[in-house]
Formats: sequence, structure tokens, C-alpha cells
Amino acid sequence: MFVTGIGVVSAIGLNAEENLRSLQSGITGIRQSTEHRLMIGKVNLSNEQIIQLLSLPNEDFSRTTLLSMLAAKEAWGNNKHHHSIRTGLISSTSIGGLDRTEKYYFESQNNKAADLYALMTHDNGRTTERLAVELGISGYISTISTACSSGANAIMQGARHMEGNKLDRVIAGGADPLALFDIKGFSSLNVYDQDICKPFDNARKGLNLGEGAGFLVLENDKSISITGNKPLCILSGWDNSTDAFHQTASSENGKGACLAMLHALAKANITADKINYINAHGTGTGNNDLSESAAIKNVFGNNIPPFSSTKGYTGHTLAAAGAIEAVYCVQSIQNQSVFPNLNFSTPMKETGMVPETIYRSGIPVEHVLSNSFGFGGNCTCLIFSKAH
Amino acid sequence: MYITASSTISHQPTFRNKGFSLEIQELKPDSNLLAPDYSAFIPAMERRRMSNVLKMAITSSIDCLEQTGISQPGAIIVGTSMGCCVHTRNFLDKILAANEGPLSPTSFIVSTHNTIAGQISLLLKNHNYNITHTQNSLSFEQALIDGMLCLNNGVNNILVGGADEEENSIYNMKERLKDETIHLSSGVSFFILSTEKNNPSPIKLVDVGSFGLIENPSGIIIEFLHSNDMVPEEIDLVLYANSDQKKTEELKLLFGPGKIVDYQKIAGTYYTNSAFAMSYGIDILSQIKQPLSRDHIKKVLVCNNLIPENLGLILLENKKE
Repeated sequence: MFVTGIGVVSAIGLNAEENLRSLQSGITGIRQSTEHRLMIGKVNLSNEQIIQLLSLPNEDFSRTTLLSMLAAKEAWGNNKHHHSIRTGLISSTSIGGLDRTEKYYFESQNNKAADLYALMTHDNGRTTERLAVELGISGYISTISTACSSGANAIMQGARHMEGNKLDRVIAGGADPLALFDIKGFSSLNVYDQDICKPFDNARKGLNLGEGAGFLVLENDKSISITGNKPLCILSGWDNSTDAFHQTASSENGKGACLAMLHALAKANITADKINYINAHGTGTGNNDLSESAAIKNVFGNNIPPFSSTKGYTGHTLAAAGAIEAVYCVQSIQNQSVFPNLNFSTPMKETGMVPETIYRSGIPVEHVLSNSFGFGGNCTCLIFSKAH
Repeated sequence: MYITASSTISHQPTFRNKGFSLEIQELKPDSNLLAPDYSAFIPAMERRRMSNVLKMAITSSIDCLEQTGISQPGAIIVGTSMGCCVHTRNFLDKILAANEGPLSPTSFIVSTHNTIAGQISLLLKNHNYNITHTQNSLSFEQALIDGMLCLNNGVNNILVGGADEEENSIYNMKERLKDETIHLSSGVSFFILSTEKNNPSPIKLVDVGSFGLIENPSGIIIEFLHSNDMVPEEIDLVLYANSDQKKTEELKLLFGPGKIVDYQKIAGTYYTNSAFAMSYGIDILSQIKQPLSRDHIKKVLVCNNLIPENLGLILLENKKE
């Protein structure tokens, strides 16, 4: 399972190169939004600007589609379709076209003239179909929606379809825009940090929402023999397990996360000590970071590898998070480097665990683990390995 | 791979009613959901907070587990186009009503598409693979394909379902399907996929296909059957849905006369109603030797062309020894 293309758009950059530079120099994309009176990680382009940038026709796009087009087109690059490469598109989102729907709904409820056509993009699948049109893909077009683990699950799904010999090449990832629905939703859960989030810090207060998209191009041996693409790395392990503890909270010992990490290691056929870097889920909430730390301790014992959460850069981009962070994991291997966890000062009193706080490069990075967890106790782990 | 349990809650008397395919009629325009007594399946505390689609899905899942005596499925996979859309709309209403004031999170936390699969895992304390597919009219087929991939990887007894409830105010389904006459309905169907057969007349899930943004459904159907060493003439019953009369005529030509049943007239319209069609096909295939049964039916194809550019195919066979 070769990774041959990456694309990402987030608050810290409009492409992979820009994201990497921000990660290296420790520059956050989280800013105060005057509109929402909140710290958020917004992509620095309006819908109109993306439409212009991608030379799209003037139609009613969901921002989910627009963000995913930016990242997926970057990942796809100059690849071409080929009659003997079965190519699928597996995206993921939690908002889908709800950004359009909520606009319609609020306008119509306030007795303003509302455009009924906006509802046509409501369903998640529709946002992916529009992306497929742009990429010239027909056939297996799919959308996964498992809340905040969605992006990682879409990538896993791509791997499983290739392993099962259903597809030779998959563009897999996820996208979520900032929608009022989520801004109000997470506010109702009282999980915001009014400052920039502090993952794994003892004084962490909560998360910041973000938006963005991430996509990978995955190819099997047959596909790569035709395209001649050079692998950036290998997707070697994956697993989805369930915490089965609570709809929104994670269990104290992180059972689901623990199972997902152990199964992904088994799938990659490596032992825990081979992992050189963990890109943690690390949202900055009291509950997630404690539960994830317990799970990491359970799996790695006293030999915890370098780890960090990149949520302090991008905010929590929900369904896109697992896909954006998968891109960062590929970049960690490409550049033999680990990325710092912003705003950390004091270890959590329960665990004493200290994440990476400075950018380090030129260190051997053979295997990277990416954690993504979501509502419904949904826990997904991916392992990326250096191609030899 | 075999289907060892099947359970449907719909506008028809499908729930815990083996042989329903022999008796049900076309849906009346004013039909309602025939909800079972959920209290027998879900504790009162949990039930109170659940939306309809959640109650239906959990009840149908439990029914499947009881049919097979399995306590823990190897994976839980749900296809749902709209997920918990009633709670999505509820939360939109609350945002409006709160007018920047404080909000209760209740609707928000159960509004995600994966609430259904997540709540099933929570109820069963199941820690296994748990995925939700949301590709409008192909959501259920993609969940089935995922289930088949699980079986091929050595995971057994997969709980797979399709679930959607009627909620036209936040998605304009009639517009999307370019058809004002459709009868919107709700329904869930769950199944257990297994590597082992559980009776002498087992139903085999031969193959499933999901094809998006296509132009030539007939060509894809022929190719799909060919890859399973079959030709259209061999199919005894085609359960189909589409909104294009011209394509219906094409199908009649392809399969031959008298084999085609429009399942939308029975199930009503929701994006995962091909799951209803699958349970209907299973019921027909299971009724061999019943007085009214159609004994000659051995191979059933569910042909879901509900959205004209999307095609789902589910091939079922009775593998009587």
C-alpha cells in the first residue's frame, strides 16, 4: 500500500509545503474570530476565492466540497486515469452539505427568501460526488462519517479495498468546514479553550475548532508499475476499534484507543518499540488527553516514543483531522523529523508524560502512528512506514 | 458468505413476520411506520432520548442477534444517508430559539451519522470494528461491501444494516430525485453475514457492487453478473428502483418479461431502501415449500438505480442442498 500523493489545506497553509513550513517553524493558524468570539483555525480563503482559484463554474458549492477539492487535487497532481487501474474515491465528512442547509434553514425560518436549491447538497455523499466529477472518477465513490475519526477511517477503508483486490488506486481523505452547527454544538458541550489549546498540558482547558481537508493517493504494486510514481512512504497498519463507554466521552483507561493501537501494530507486523513518532489525537480537552495518555502508556509502557498533537496549529478539524494528520505523518517520514506540540509547559499530574516541544529533524523515522478518535467511541489508528 | 439473520422495521408488517413477502401489498399513500413495541428491546431510560431511527436500528439489531444466538458481532457496519437527521434539525431549531443564549447539547451529541452504529456498540459493549457509510442511495451497498471485506479478513458474524428516517424539511429529496410523486417513508433493515450456513436452505450473499456517476447501468449489470459467472436470463427475480421509466423498459429487455418488481412501491422511498429490498428478497428465497411460495425463485438481484447516476447491485442466491 504505497502513499504516492499528499494534499492538505488547513489554517496553517493552503498546500502541503505551506503546512510543513508552519509545522517546522511552530506557527499556529488559530486566531480570534470576531464573528464567533472564539479562537478558531480558519482556512484563509473564502468560498469565492476557492472557486476562482480552481477555475470552477459558478454553482452552489458546499464548503466541504471546495476544501476537499483543494486538497484532493493537490494529492492527485498530474496523475492520469488508466483503463487498467481501478481508481476509487473515498472521502469523509461530518458536516457534508450542512453548511448550505443551515444557511437555508435559518433564512427560511426567519422568513427571508431562501434558495431551496441549497438543500440539494445536504447529504454527505453529494459533496463527495461533486469532488469525483472534478477528479474524473466514476465507480467506487464513497463517504465515511464517523465524527472525528472519519478522515482516518476513509484512509483505512481505501487500504482495505485495495487489500481485498477491489481497487488498485484510491484517493482517500476527508474534509470539514466550520459550520455554525458545530460551533454551537461544541459550545453546548463547554469544551472550548478561550485561548489557543494546550494538548497534554496539565492546565489544558479544551479545544479550538478548525477546518480543512487532507487527502492521500494510495496505490498498489500494479498501479505503481503503470504510473511509475515514487512512493513517499507505505501505509502499513490500520485498525478501527470501539471504546463502547459513552457517546461523547472516552473511557478512563482508553480501552478503544488501546485496542486500535495494538491491532494496527499487529497489522503492520511490528512491535511497539519500532514506532518513532506518534501524532496523537490530543484535542486539548481534559477527557481526551487523559484517556489517550493512559492508552499510550498501556501500549508503550515505559518506552513512550516522541509524540505530539498538532491541534495547537490547526485546531480540531473534526472529520478532516485524521486525514490532515495522516499527511503530517507522511511528511514526518519524508523529512525524517518530528513536529512540536505547541503551548506545552507542565506535564499532566496523572501521567507525567512530556510531548515533543521543539522541531527536530535528521532523526531516524521509520514508523509513525497516527491516532484519531471520535464520538460514538470510534477509535482509529494508522501506521505509516518508510519505503525501502 | 451467508446471511444468517434478517430483520426489517418499515411501513409494512415486516418485523418478526417470516413470510411477509407472501402477504404484503403495495404501500398506501397515507401509510405510517409500523413500529414494534420498543420497550421489549430498549430500557426506558435510554429509549426516551432516542430518535425513531435509533430505536428502529437497535431493535432490528437485537432481533438479528436473537435469531442467531450471537451475543457479540465481529463488526458493526451501518449505511445511512441522512443519519440522525431529526436531531440535526432539532439542534438547528434550538440554535434559532436560543438566540445566542445557552444550548442543551442533547440533540447535538446524537446528531452525528455514526450515532446509530455507536449506540449499538455501547448497548452491546462491543469493542469491534464500527463504521458508518453515508453515500446517499449507495450507503447500504457500501456497508455490505465493507462487511464482505471483514469476512474475507477472517472476522465473522458481521452486523450490517441500512437505516434512514423520513425528514424532508432539511433535505429536498423529492427535488433530488426529480419526482414529486414519490412516497417518502422510513425503514431499517439489519442482517448478520457469516461464513457458516445456519440451515439446510441457506441464503448466500453472492456479490455486491456500488457504482457511482455511471452512464450505462445495463452494461454494468451485465459485467457484474459476468464476473459472477452468470447471465441476466439466469436471474429469477429483479427487485429494482429507479425514477426513469425509460430505464425500466431497458431492464425488462435485459432480464426478460415478468421478473421485475419495483420495490419502491412496497417500501416507499428512503435512500437505504435497498436494504428493505434485500430483506424482501431473502424472505422470498426462504419461503420454499410454503403454499404460496414462488419455488422457482433461486437467484435474486437487487438493482438500486434510485438516483439515476448511481447503481447498487446485490446478488442473492438460495443454496439449497
